[in-house]
Amino acid sequence: MERKMINRKVLKPIYLILGIVILLALPWIIRDRYFQHLMVLSCIYIILASSWNLLAGYSGLLNLGHAAFFGIGGYSSALLALKLNISPWIGLPFGGIIASIFGIFLGIPSFRLSGPSLAITTIGFSEILRLVSMNWVSLTRGSLGLYGIPPFTAFTFSESVSIRFTSEQNVYYIVLVFMILTLLLLNKLIHSEFGISLKSMREDEMGSASIGINASHYKLTVFMISAFLAGFAGSLYAHYVRLISPEMLSLGETFSVLTMAMVGGLGTIGGPVVGAVLLTFLSEGLRFVEDYVKIDIRLIIYGGLLMVTILFMRNGIVGMCKEVSKRMISKPEA
Amino acid sequence: MSEKIFRIVLGMVVCISLFIYGGRVNAADPIPIGILGPFTGSIAFNAEEMKKGMMLAVDEIDAKGGIFGRKIELIFGDTEAKPDKGVAAVKKLITRDKVLVVGGGYASSVNIATSEVCQNERIPIVVAIAISPTITNRGFDYVFRTSPNSPQFLTGINDWLLKVKKPKTVAFLMENTDYGRDGEKIWSAQAKKIGAKELAHLYFEIGDADFTTQITKLKELKPDVTFNIASTTEASLIQKQAKELNFVTQWIGVGGQFTEAYFKMSGALCQYAMGSSLEPTLAMKNPLVADFVKRYEAKYQKARPGIFSSQGYDNIMVLMDAMKRTGKLTGDLQKDRDAIKEALRKTSIELTQGKIEFDKNGQVYTVFPSVVQVQMVDGTPQLFIIYPPERASATYKTPLPWDQRK
Amino acid sequence: MRGKSLSRRGIYPFRDEESMESLFLQQVFNGLIVGSLYCLIAIGLTMIFGVMRIANFAHGDFSMLGAYIALYFIVLVSGWFGWIGSMIVAAIGVGIIGFFVERFLFRPLLTRWTDIDIIMLSIGLFILLENGARLVFGPTPKMIPDPFSHKSIDLFLVSTSVIRLLCFFFSCVAILLLQLFLTKTKMGVAIRATSQNRNAALLMGINIGFIYSLTFVVGSALAGFGGVLYGTTFAIFPTMGAMPTLKAFAITILGGMGNIRGAIFGGFILGVAETLGGNYISMQYKNAIGFVIIILVLLIIPHGLFGGKQKS
Repeated sequence: MERKMINRKVLKPIYLILGIVILLALPWIIRDRYFQHLMVLSCIYIILASSWNLLAGYSGLLNLGHAAFFGIGGYSSALLALKLNISPWIGLPFGGIIASIFGIFLGIPSFRLSGPSLAITTIGFSEILRLVSMNWVSLTRGSLGLYGIPPFTAFTFSESVSIRFTSEQNVYYIVLVFMILTLLLLNKLIHSEFGISLKSMREDEMGSASIGINASHYKLTVFMISAFLAGFAGSLYAHYVRLISPEMLSLGETFSVLTMAMVGGLGTIGGPVVGAVLLTFLSEGLRFVEDYVKIDIRLIIYGGLLMVTILFMRNGIVGMCKEVSKRMISKPEA
Repeated sequence: MSEKIFRIVLGMVVCISLFIYGGRVNAADPIPIGILGPFTGSIAFNAEEMKKGMMLAVDEIDAKGGIFGRKIELIFGDTEAKPDKGVAAVKKLITRDKVLVVGGGYASSVNIATSEVCQNERIPIVVAIAISPTITNRGFDYVFRTSPNSPQFLTGINDWLLKVKKPKTVAFLMENTDYGRDGEKIWSAQAKKIGAKELAHLYFEIGDADFTTQITKLKELKPDVTFNIASTTEASLIQKQAKELNFVTQWIGVGGQFTEAYFKMSGALCQYAMGSSLEPTLAMKNPLVADFVKRYEAKYQKARPGIFSSQGYDNIMVLMDAMKRTGKLTGDLQKDRDAIKEALRKTSIELTQGKIEFDKNGQVYTVFPSVVQVQMVDGTPQLFIIYPPERASATYKTPLPWDQRK
Repeated sequence: MRGKSLSRRGIYPFRDEESMESLFLQQVFNGLIVGSLYCLIAIGLTMIFGVMRIANFAHGDFSMLGAYIALYFIVLVSGWFGWIGSMIVAAIGVGIIGFFVERFLFRPLLTRWTDIDIIMLSIGLFILLENGARLVFGPTPKMIPDPFSHKSIDLFLVSTSVIRLLCFFFSCVAILLLQLFLTKTKMGVAIRATSQNRNAALLMGINIGFIYSLTFVVGSALAGFGGVLYGTTFAIFPTMGAMPTLKAFAITILGGMGNIRGAIFGGFILGVAETLGGNYISMQYKNAIGFVIIILVLLIIPHGLFGGKQKS
């Protein structure tokens, strides 16, 4: 038994390094532009799904208006770039901050509301904002959307040498870095005192209040962090796809994100990762099927997956893997 | 943490293999042409009309030996009528399917975005069905459009308003999209020009089904003319609810709503509605159009071709014509695309919409839609050209109150 | 002078006092008609929530299913007789569907998982039903043929179409019948008892499982019935259930979750608020009115206008 433990300790950092190396080298191994495009989208959605997971999985707060933060971040950053010529690099954190401020608007009601009431409020929130982005035409161009959003400003080293961020490959590295940072941040948060208090609040709010955990404080903070990350993801999206529309704030977008988090595994770090990558690629893979079968089954499969997950795989794919590995470890002892 | 990373990598390996396995194998022989359109969603049936017209064109060209002996293959990208999905679809067509050129396209907001992508990727795109002027006034040399833009669509109506109808009061009930707002701007300017009072500017979303609030308001204001830019479903519902609320006005739209589905849904309710149209069945005097209609009906079992079918047909024919005029296809994608772009600029060909020639912005300027009105013939609604007089096949009829209609 | 600022927003000064008043009345009337339809859907939702604590996001889709069932029935039996028949058939059909959904999807979850899971399951169901309907029925909207050919009718100061008036009439009848059911019949009283205090109801010998099924079936049937009326008034298309669901939730919250009388009031209030708001404030944000109301109500009175139920 001791030998097993030593092996695991040695293997852990090796897995880590191996994983990061593969991720870094990926665009050089697979040069297909379309695949690289999907990789970029996956990373952005990992950040988005993880931010939703922070609320629903770790804090027990169901936010069905999450797409609003995504959209606010995207629109803020895009507008700053288009109207005030502010560099997207600055727009990135700005998008996050502005979304975070809106996070306060949802954080405060969450003190008193629970479950379904909170869920409806969040839907109302995002629908109102979506309607605003559709109708405030002078600012957002309405349903036409904002096009011609500048890409991330290039790093110029000299007259002839510069790294431009208009190709999928180069943007991939940007989003990869932020994706890893996000995961590290969340991991730290979850395993800190803050995270533990959060969990106790989720399990039993009144009980944890009796030991001095001020639920309101935690709820507000968590909403602000989650909103910041979602807004950040929105800015990344805006300067990559270079077009955003009110669709970004739609319920459909929120549902995609929550399906990713749930199918991947709620309340785990790896869950949103698996979910985001799986659904992004599945979505495209299904297009091929649709071409052959000539019917639109993608969303039906999403809905079906979500239901199957809740009914049979409550903790998602990651949860299932953990169960399986637990059973494998306990087997020899049996 | 490491488990997670291991799992990511594992998952990726799975996805990669799925991806590569499921990927398209690009055959060397047929020429791939990317076609964009909202093939799912609420305007899917209009996109189907466009597709039918396009397939007719492809059949015709393949029958004549194709382009330089190679057949044409249309690869469809679904935009779902949403700009972001449209961008994803066109990117896939360009990077994955490696299409030679891009055609099709429906809905201005989507096409403004997709044409920008094509300009950045330096691939020619010829937009089939979208009227926002923005598409061709950004100085993008790879972007062309075979459809007239909104000012061109509406000049006929504006002329008619000025010379014939002379309304004292007008109102607007618009789709809350650029399609609606662009038309609104043009008509608002015209209203000011002819001295008509603008009583109200009302809007609705695509997908709305309840227009009672808006129509009640309009009924109160009694405008001579109500401008209504809407697509098939909403336009039809508006007519229905207008009757239910006993509201009569001269409805004027762009014409995109006059599809077969619209006439089926509205029946006699849409009598007197007006628009600006390029309906092929109205131009049967032109032998080219008559031939197109005949072949369409033969191929699709008596289905009537509408404006979208003819626009789809013209779109493909223009692309084929330009390809033929390049002389040959070298196989170097970028070289061929640039050659086609140059050939497109010199286009001059007679098709179902009329003559197609592009101005320096890539915008067709030789197609002239006619002012039409729906009138009843033996109990079925039909479109008639009512202006200008030299092209008219019927005279304008003022809408009668509901209880006086047959 | 009211002049410029109003007309820039699309609202033109009225020509005289009388027409101003009649427009107001007309819009209120329109609002009541639409409100009655909202009520039908909201009552089912609040009832189900009150008894089983299930916030069913797919509820509006039951209306959609009811509308399509009615459509196919009318193909077989036409005319106004077919129309009325289709309402009954739709209600029964959706009730049956509701029974299976409750029994096999929601019931197993009730004891095992949390609120969040139930909501998510219903979201999954919603996505599935909506897109499944799109696949099976096609995205093109369909109309229920109007047996009265859209004839309009004038009543004193307001006017509407014959068919809408009938829809309004039938909604009110259905609401009344439901109230009678809940107050005068044994089963109805049992439902209310369970809704107020589940444990006490259990102690009184009420078969909770049966009540759950009954509540869900009645609530769904009501939604299906409402769907037919909704489809008659407007049109039938696969995504028609989404907005009514959200509005039903708004109404439920406005009236207090689990409170049926609250839902009835709430439905009419929302209907009128939407038409008046759309008329006098802004057409574009008409759909947002419902959401603004929820948010305001929730911030000020978290339990809704008529007070929420006590959780057992």
